[in-house]
Amino acid sequence: MLTSGEKSYCAALMALKRKDFKTATEHFKKAAPYFEHDREFNLFFETTRLLVDVKQELGRYEQDDKIEIEEIFTDG
Amino acid sequence: MTNVNNLKSLENLLELFLGKVVELKEQRLSVLEGINSLDDISRLASRGIDITDEMGEWFANHNRWLTDRSFKQADLEKIDSMLSQIKNEIKIDQSSPPARVKIDREISRWSETVKETSSKIVLKRSPESTKEAIKMYENDTISLFLNKLERSIDLFKDYSANKQHILSVLDDLLKSAIIQKNKDALILSAFIIYYLKQNGYKTEPFVKKLKEAETILTGEVLDAN
Repeated sequence: MLTSGEKSYCAALMALKRKDFKTATEHFKKAAPYFEHDREFNLFFETTRLLVDVKQELGRYEQDDKIEIEEIFTDG
Repeated sequence: MTNVNNLKSLENLLELFLGKVVELKEQRLSVLEGINSLDDISRLASRGIDITDEMGEWFANHNRWLTDRSFKQADLEKIDSMLSQIKNEIKIDQSSPPARVKIDREISRWSETVKETSSKIVLKRSPESTKEAIKMYENDTISLFLNKLERSIDLFKDYSANKQHILSVLDDLLKSAIIQKNKDALILSAFIIYYLKQNGYKTEPFVKKLKEAETILTGEVLDAN
């Protein structure tokens, strides 16, 4: 049987294929204790984590840019 | 706005890199997916659940594996061990339904083929390093960036040995960037500063040092030209 680490690494790569970076990071986190000395694993993990952080930061900027529009109707 | 543009270009770069990773690993991913689903089936079988349909579907989806000679030894061993485990769980007797008997026979056929394949020795030779290949490599920005990241990991390991905190590592890296004019140390320092900033550290003094190192290195490049 595959170890839970191997299953998580596999799930992380599948998530990367779907471009679901957040889910990939979650699976990489679960697999991390099993692959701490695997340079390729660490490279993929850190790059995905950085990408999720960058996307989050960009999302924050985009929220700041939103203009609130309020419609006001007078006399019905 | 510049900050947003920088973040967007970093986002594009990272997405491109991960896209290439998936592209390079495409074949490996399909093998891993198949092994993972066989592992799921063997777990169901060990819980006494009828896996006839799942196993039939798995064989149908992975039939071409029987003729594929590019499998890694470790993968073949995993597949063989999972199939043996499943075979032990399904226990065939006189009263077993025909579908299950068929699955049992198919497992035996697979196990035999897998054993045959794994006993063969495959010798592989790496491609010749021609000038053209070297030129192609120089133009391959993905490989170049990958190498840079790998070198950065090695550099970080060297500098972090016997250190208690990442700030000490960063300080030493910045010194190396300034004194030894080490470009790899400069890039790694920028990466660490961004990481620290994301984690709420005050990074201003380090940014100042980074700019100083960058100015020195840029000056060096200009002098060399």
